[in-house]
Amino acid sequence: MQRRELLRRAAWMLGGAVSAPAALAILQGCSAKDSTVNASAFKPVFLTGASHMDMITEIAEIIIPKTNTSGAKDAGVPAFIDSVLAAVYPKDAQERFTAGLTEFGAAAAATGKPFLEQEPAQRAAFVKKSLEHALEGERNPKPFILMARELTLLGFFTSEVGITENMEYVAVPTVFHGCVPLSEMKKHVYWE
Amino acid sequence: MEQNSFDAIVVGSGMSGGWAAKELTEKGLKTLVLERGRMVRHPDYPTATKDPWDLPYGNRITQEIRHRKPVQTRTGYPTPANQHWFVDDLDNPYVEEQPFDWLRGYHVGGRSLMWARQSYRFGPLDFEANAKEGVAIPWPVTYDEIAPWYDKVEIFAGISGSVENLHQLPDGKFLPPHDLNCVEVDFKKRLDEKLGRKLIIGRCANLTAPLTHNESPQRGTCQARNMCIRGCPFGGYFSSVSSTLPSAERTGNMTLLPNQIVYELIYDNDKGKATGVRVLDAETGKQTDYFAKIVFLCASALGSAYIMLNSTSSRFPNGFGNDSGELGCNIMDHNKPGNSNASVEGYLDVAYTGRRPNGFYIPRYRNVGKDKRDYLRGFGYQGRAARAGYGRFNDSAAIGEDLKKEFQEPGPWNVSMTAFGEILPHHENRARLDRDKKDKHGLPLLAVNAVVRENERKMEQDMKNDAAEMLEAAGFKNVTVKSDSYNVGNSIHESGTARMGTDPKKSVLNKFNQVHACKNVFVTDGSFMPSFGCQNPSLTYMAFTARAAAHAVDELKKGNL
Repeated sequence: MQRRELLRRAAWMLGGAVSAPAALAILQGCSAKDSTVNASAFKPVFLTGASHMDMITEIAEIIIPKTNTSGAKDAGVPAFIDSVLAAVYPKDAQERFTAGLTEFGAAAAATGKPFLEQEPAQRAAFVKKSLEHALEGERNPKPFILMARELTLLGFFTSEVGITENMEYVAVPTVFHGCVPLSEMKKHVYWE
Repeated sequence: MEQNSFDAIVVGSGMSGGWAAKELTEKGLKTLVLERGRMVRHPDYPTATKDPWDLPYGNRITQEIRHRKPVQTRTGYPTPANQHWFVDDLDNPYVEEQPFDWLRGYHVGGRSLMWARQSYRFGPLDFEANAKEGVAIPWPVTYDEIAPWYDKVEIFAGISGSVENLHQLPDGKFLPPHDLNCVEVDFKKRLDEKLGRKLIIGRCANLTAPLTHNESPQRGTCQARNMCIRGCPFGGYFSSVSSTLPSAERTGNMTLLPNQIVYELIYDNDKGKATGVRVLDAETGKQTDYFAKIVFLCASALGSAYIMLNSTSSRFPNGFGNDSGELGCNIMDHNKPGNSNASVEGYLDVAYTGRRPNGFYIPRYRNVGKDKRDYLRGFGYQGRAARAGYGRFNDSAAIGEDLKKEFQEPGPWNVSMTAFGEILPHHENRARLDRDKKDKHGLPLLAVNAVVRENERKMEQDMKNDAAEMLEAAGFKNVTVKSDSYNVGNSIHESGTARMGTDPKKSVLNKFNQVHACKNVFVTDGSFMPSFGCQNPSLTYMAFTARAAAHAVDELKKGNL
């Protein structure tokens, strides 16, 4: 991290004297930091209710599972969700989230087994059904499962693996081209 | 006294202050630049090179930021990536007699670090409007008088754009324009064919090519990162920190002091001149007087008005230079009643590469030429077409492998655009001092009372209807026109508090930005504007500041100040 930062500084300090491609090479030559969180060491700050953290972890992984590319857990999404709930969400949204999560657990258990004890396919079907149900109903305020989905996507697409495995991320593009055939791109480009 | 004496004092280090510092120091004046906030030096911008995953909370605004910055967050700006550039509202209170959004950056560079970089000239239409329509007071300056100064500041700052030969939006000395993207190119064609309206690429202070001068070796070209608001270590866009202040520094004539809150001008009744400024140290509270032959107030329209309102004397009992009673009055901004968007079918086999720090611009066409409306003036639109990002997955039931397949393709296209409408000057849109309320330094608070009125309300109808008409004419779908509540100030273009004019009974400043009643004080931030156009104003402040500085030096040499 420190070496990377130092190199970056050096590039910036030289300013106009460094050509853009040279600065790019310096940046890309340094490995990016690992943004994933060590799951075993993680202690939630917000999702402290009984099995709340475990349930969110599984919901996130069902929405974006590990396949031949990284999933929500690989991207550190569960810890991200906990931190965003704690620091970003206002109190009323926090309360709706917690109440919704508890309700979600109760509804899952009513089908026979607690969510976390269900078979993976059964869990996925329950999440899918919950999403479909929420999308058909009143969405203001946002139902729990859609909040969980939005947080999962936000966490995934602001993570290093989420961005770099699914899009072509270029820290310093150097130039904007307004109209490029997709066929000339390896992957679609990160624009956010 | 000796060590506190200079040829010139510049109050503020942002868009205008930087230009004053550069021009005065380059002409040989020993110049003290006083900035109320902390030091910022190019290229030290703490978040400028952070990747998305380096920012906490997905760069969402935290409750802590909302708590400390309840006004600043009204714009949606102070995210973890840039919140260090926006003031702490709890420490910097003001009184909102009507809701007023006062967005501020108290640091060296001011808002020139966070600005949206859109850079348009005001044209003859704008400079002549007040006189022709009998609104407020006439501009004392014509377009032809200011045009060479626009040339000068454009060349130095580096403004990119396309030559369009529009009377209402004069061309400038441009670096190459950014590309419009594929959808924008077709939008442009259809607007031209079906409605005879122009769509052009935004004119912006990003270096699409190297500068055409060698005065700014610290600056490189724009790298298409679109992270300008964090500060650009490449110097890819114009800010005072990257551009004018380094030039001033190199002369050896600048002393730049951060954390110095100027709260009063010192007036010498016998000489009929200002002799300096009174300052509180923001960190220690220590009071110091600084002296100079001339003072440039560049502290922002409300900041400079504050200092003048707080500078009372037997000569100026109602505020410095306020013989006209117009000081603090005539606050303008750009009315921004809502954003419009639409979805675009097709174009799925094309996209764009790089992140363009710019969008398209639809210049004013209302009350231009033969067009006549039941309101005065007009508006322009700023917008962009883009392919949707991951937000499009939020309201879908796709999960697992199905969802991950969708990740592999960019989203559909959409277009969004926002109208910025001219607000007429109105005496009752004003700021005053509330001496019963004090900040932590014991200084009285500014109280602001400004609203949009009948002309703006009438114009809003066109701003909304025309947006829908244009998006539909282009064949876009799901056209949505939002009505957002707008507080004056929200466009971060507040201005007009010390307007210029020929008549000292009706204006605070003369045509060279000098206080009518005290010629060695110049005010060159947005305060001086007698009307406001619908264009983004920073370029105009730069041009008038450079012109005022040249005039100040000439007058000093002649012994007139």
